[in-house]
Amino acid sequence: MTHPVAIIGVGWSGFRPVTPDVSYKELIYEAAVRAYADAGVDPRRDVDSFVTVSEDFHEGTSIFDEYVPDQIGGAQRPVHTITGDGLHGLAAAVMQILTGRFRVVVVEGHSKASNILTLPHITAYALDPILNRPLQVNPLAVAALEACRYMHESGATREQCGAVVTKNRRNALRNPAAAYGADLRTEDVLASEVVASPLARLEISDHADGAIVIVLADAETARRLSPHPAWIRGIGWANDSPSLESRCWARAVYAERAAAMAYKMAGIGNPVEEIQFAEVDDTYAYKELQHLEALGLCAQGRAGPLTREGATAPDGCLPVNVSGGSLGVGHLLEASGLARVLEVVLQLRGHAGSRQLGDVYTGLAQSWRGVPTTSGAVAVLSNQLGGRES
Amino acid sequence: MPLDPTLHADDLRAWYGSMPVTSRYTVGPAGERFFRAMKDAARILGTRCGRCNLTYVPGRLFCERCFDELTDWTEVGPSGTIEAVTVVHLDLDGALLEPPVLMALVRLDGADTVLYHRLSGVDVADAKIGLRVEAAFRRLEDRTGSILDISHFRPAG
Ligand SMILES: [Zn+2]
Repeated sequence: MTHPVAIIGVGWSGFRPVTPDVSYKELIYEAAVRAYADAGVDPRRDVDSFVTVSEDFHEGTSIFDEYVPDQIGGAQRPVHTITGDGLHGLAAAVMQILTGRFRVVVVEGHSKASNILTLPHITAYALDPILNRPLQVNPLAVAALEACRYMHESGATREQCGAVVTKNRRNALRNPAAAYGADLRTEDVLASEVVASPLARLEISDHADGAIVIVLADAETARRLSPHPAWIRGIGWANDSPSLESRCWARAVYAERAAAMAYKMAGIGNPVEEIQFAEVDDTYAYKELQHLEALGLCAQGRAGPLTREGATAPDGCLPVNVSGGSLGVGHLLEASGLARVLEVVLQLRGHAGSRQLGDVYTGLAQSWRGVPTTSGAVAVLSNQLGGRES
Repeated sequence: MPLDPTLHADDLRAWYGSMPVTSRYTVGPAGERFFRAMKDAARILGTRCGRCNLTYVPGRLFCERCFDELTDWTEVGPSGTIEAVTVVHLDLDGALLEPPVLMALVRLDGADTVLYHRLSGVDVADAKIGLRVEAAFRRLEDRTGSILDISHFRPAG
């Protein structure tokens, strides 16, 4: 990558199961103020463009993108909104900087999930209106069917999925921002009520409220402003076939394709050797296993056994979701991918507190847009350009 | 971050809103042909891409792999095989379903894609990947030209 882009500032507010004391605008404002202080930029003077991510039905407001500029410092400035996960927003910001027309670009994502009173209806409304929606089934069925097929083809077990939950919720105990830290046993997970077989309640991430703002800059600006730039060495995004009828139900093809795109840009030939830690989507416990295999970080069918053996624990050979993931932090709707990026940045800077990993220089963040989508993105970040230069 | 944080939860205010959303969804020429065959003749039609060697069900007008137009209509099913199955215990409002609902991905004989539909008339213990099933159509006078013209799938008899 000849003109690298770096993350020079991060800010967040939350993450909590409910936030009745603030409006969504105040939640975002708080994250933005922190991000600009962290980056050392004035949004009214130094930021060239703003990218936000949101879904109108999650916000309860039509044309919600008109409601975002003011609380991020973007009034009367270039702003646009993507209806996708925050990692898609990050990709858009990277592209803007790569045009050479923008030096500093900001990405914002948030969740006010506690304000959504009929979320399963909203998700069901995302299903095909002619073929799928008339069946009027809770959309958890879509994740459950995928879990069923993934486990059948990969050999993953419920115990292995349970081990994902115990790991991530335990990791969250060392993340002060996480909403759902807990010390559970795999038996507790397996004993929680099955809501859509094979998925039990504790294998499904609960939502949290929060906002995340990330400041990106071109190489020259990043070197000038930041003592610890996190370089975006590669970024990619992809979709599988969208329809329930023709998509792949066993593998996360969107993550395979997004990873291939990001690895190519980063010049990564062997991700197992070069990715030291990963933050991956774990909206449902099986998703972490399926995504690790799609990213090429575990061979097909190996993510489950490796998780049971502790390889993905913070002291394992491939720490995964040290932040706690969505299971431990709380699912942040469109901001979930930015939460994965946030943890990678904090780890690369050495700012991850009591959960800091030793001597890490390259990490991966991956997102999935949730049921019923087949849409995902991958970013590879390093605290040194060109891999390790110690 | 507020300069004067709220300390009394009872003082917190919220406003409520809702909006009725009603839409019309045109099924198009391929949908017309697919649903008419179900309604009039209890037949399930797909379209075939010879280039990709794939049969799409429901039939559609174009191949998502090679982007060719599809004109080769073919009948599939009504029997097929379960590719995935789940027992759903919650309704759309999150309330407990009693009894629970079985949902399955069914690959009809002759098709390369699956249908997402209800499964009935089978013990939960027998509802497994590989089970042979068949479409249970509603009676002719009850069929309206919708995916619900198949009331459910049941074990092939
Ligand atoms: Zn084709």
